Amino acid sequence: MISLVISWLNFFLAILLLPPLILSLIRKTKARLQNRVGPSWFQPIYDWSKLCRKDETLSSTLTWIFRGSAALNFILVLLLALFLPWISFKPSFTGDDIFLAIYVLALARFFSLLASLDSGSAFGGFAASREATLSLLVEPAFMLALVALGINARSSSLSAIFSYSTDANNQVVCFLAGTGILLSSLVELSRMPIDDPTTHLELTMVHEAMILEASGRNLLLVEVSYALKMTVLLGLSAQCFIHALQANIVCPKLLLVILSYLGILGLAALVGLIEGLTVKLHWRKDPEFIAYALTMSLLACFISIGQGATFK
Amino acid sequence: MKVEVQNLSLQEREPQIHELVRSEGMRVGITSSIDGGQLITLLIDPTSGRAYLFDTPLEAANYPCLTRRIPACHWQERILWNMFGLVPDGHPRLKKVLLHESYDADFFPLLSERYLSRTPLQEHQGQYQFLEVKGEGVYEIPVGPIHAGIIEPGHFRFSCFGELILNLEIRLGYVHRGIEKKLTQVDWRKGRFVAEAAASDSAAAYALAYSECIESMFSIELPYRAKLLRTLALEIERIGMHLADLAGIAGDIGFIGVASSFQRIRGLTFSMAELLSGQRFLRAFICPGGVVREPTKLTLNQISSCAENLSNQCKVLLEMLLESQGVDDRLRGIGRVNLSLASDFGLVGIAGRASGLKYDVRQFRSEYETFTPAFHKLGDVLARVAVRAEEIKMSIEIIRSVLARLEIPGSSYQPLPDRLPSNSVGLSIVEAHRGELIHLAFTDEQGCISRYCIKDPSVNNWTALAMAVRNNLVADFPLCNKSFSLAYSGHDL
Repeated sequence: MISLVISWLNFFLAILLLPPLILSLIRKTKARLQNRVGPSWFQPIYDWSKLCRKDETLSSTLTWIFRGSAALNFILVLLLALFLPWISFKPSFTGDDIFLAIYVLALARFFSLLASLDSGSAFGGFAASREATLSLLVEPAFMLALVALGINARSSSLSAIFSYSTDANNQVVCFLAGTGILLSSLVELSRMPIDDPTTHLELTMVHEAMILEASGRNLLLVEVSYALKMTVLLGLSAQCFIHALQANIVCPKLLLVILSYLGILGLAALVGLIEGLTVKLHWRKDPEFIAYALTMSLLACFISIGQGATFK
Repeated sequence: MKVEVQNLSLQEREPQIHELVRSEGMRVGITSSIDGGQLITLLIDPTSGRAYLFDTPLEAANYPCLTRRIPACHWQERILWNMFGLVPDGHPRLKKVLLHESYDADFFPLLSERYLSRTPLQEHQGQYQFLEVKGEGVYEIPVGPIHAGIIEPGHFRFSCFGELILNLEIRLGYVHRGIEKKLTQVDWRKGRFVAEAAASDSAAAYALAYSECIESMFSIELPYRAKLLRTLALEIERIGMHLADLAGIAGDIGFIGVASSFQRIRGLTFSMAELLSGQRFLRAFICPGGVVREPTKLTLNQISSCAENLSNQCKVLLEMLLESQGVDDRLRGIGRVNLSLASDFGLVGIAGRASGLKYDVRQFRSEYETFTPAFHKLGDVLARVAVRAEEIKMSIEIIRSVLARLEIPGSSYQPLPDRLPSNSVGLSIVEAHRGELIHLAFTDEQGCISRYCIKDPSVNNWTALAMAVRNNLVADFPLCNKSFSLAYSGHDL
């Protein structure tokens, strides 16, 4: 009973702390690469509290869909945080199927597309079209990575796949799937090299152009769900790597907790590093980048199947 | 630069100018008017740097346009219509440029009242009509005039098909301040301050053009040292702006490390400017007659060591930018303007040279000794980046050579008479960092400036942007825009 309470407390702590922390970590990494000090570690908190106090400006063409989508999006991302095993100490639920997770993710995207189209601006329109194109390409990569893990663990239940049982995990599959998830997360989260989140140029934006019309608390909701989604997706990828490691060395529970935190932070720093060093790809070259993610996921699938594993 | 006015009748004007452009390879520098009673046309020979000025008296407010056969004139003839009410017959796309629809129909700021009665009112089309691209799936994106980021105002209307830009129409004039008219109203000794403020990122180039324009009316030869110090200022400004543009391009493609390093070393050019002129943006330094401040030997040494520092850092950074596979991949083939379009539309500066036009005003000036313009053939964003990089290196070399020649002491100011000569013409052509900048001035019987005409390089090059983005992706527009680095205030004046 006590351990359950502790794990819930730990889980809430992670949900509250990690999203702003990884945002600052990415910003700090990018700033250091430019020889700048960068904004304060608490900057996301400052920004969010500012947004909380600000009034909202709504265009006259907007309907309830716009604001409703932001709230729905937040709920769906929270749901995703509850189901996806992005940290080792997450309390488990029944029914946490991989396909559920994939469709919750797709549903969240659907609502953000709706909100973007609802804004009625030309920017919202083409941003939604770009987002839809990218998600169409990246969804198979993300799905296949999870499926590979599922085949490997002979289950489609997420808690069974990420259960830290040595025999159920093949390190190569875990590693490849982790890479696949990481690369597709970069696309899913509109990070470099697909989209530059720091640009002010509306015409080049994907994610940012979708939320141009959001302001005040509505924008706060969008920003918080984005940060949480990023934490969850990076965490999921980190868990894959930790499982690959764990297939060789048996880790005690406390070490797994520490590794879970470190994994997410490490990947956030990696995202910052990528953003500091790479050049944003030409829109026509984006499919080539997504092909890397897809290749990783496919390889993971082939290896899992090659082992003769089937679903129970 | 001294220039003789030749008379040319209205009937002969169009055929003769077309003949000179076609067979002699001349470019139309300025087509404008003094007070609405005549047309003046400045032709420049881009191989020798010589200029020819034609004066055509007008009987009516209509004249046969040059644009039909010399597309390079299309923008200036639109401005001429706005400012003087002179209607170019046969102009394919006569629209308002500087004075928007909210101005009165009989408001022609530069037109003399004598000719007002014969001038047709500018018909109100109600709202400005953008060129409409028809077809299923074609949609429009309006951008601006207020932009994200701290830049000047301008409206871009994209007609797109999916991610593809089919047409871009640019609408400017939001920062029209009446600089040309103001320059006829202030005392000629103070005009340089107005000129510098016209386009503040080219303050040195504008001040230089203004001063040379005034000096050419007096036919005075300046001390060599004054010319050298002015050259120093101009080249410092050029390096600074080129670095800023490269930083902008690197930033647009998300190459943030290099972008912020370019911004940082741009600070060195500010330091050099401050050492030379006492002002980080080189304002109030160049004046008619020379320069206002004689740098000491110590300052020149400091500028020299700054230049060496800049040279070393530039070398590393330019290599990082140009040798990067990702940058090459991202910039190659984007926003192409081929040579024939570039010469038809008379592109100047980096835009022209990146497309293969070897026109740089500096090659005709004595201060530069031997000068060969940097150029490229491809005409895409990468070519413009490469030409900029090359010009930064060249400018550092020029600064070195100028500093060496400045060791011989001498005077750097030549006092000028109090009154401008009456009925005279002043002309100056300067290579600003954006390209060919022309100042042309006329005085009346009393020796007051009756017309001051400025041709900013952006007047030629805004059209290049509209051509370059055709059939490119919407997402590539900011990159194309940055690669041309065009001025709103310089154009709107």
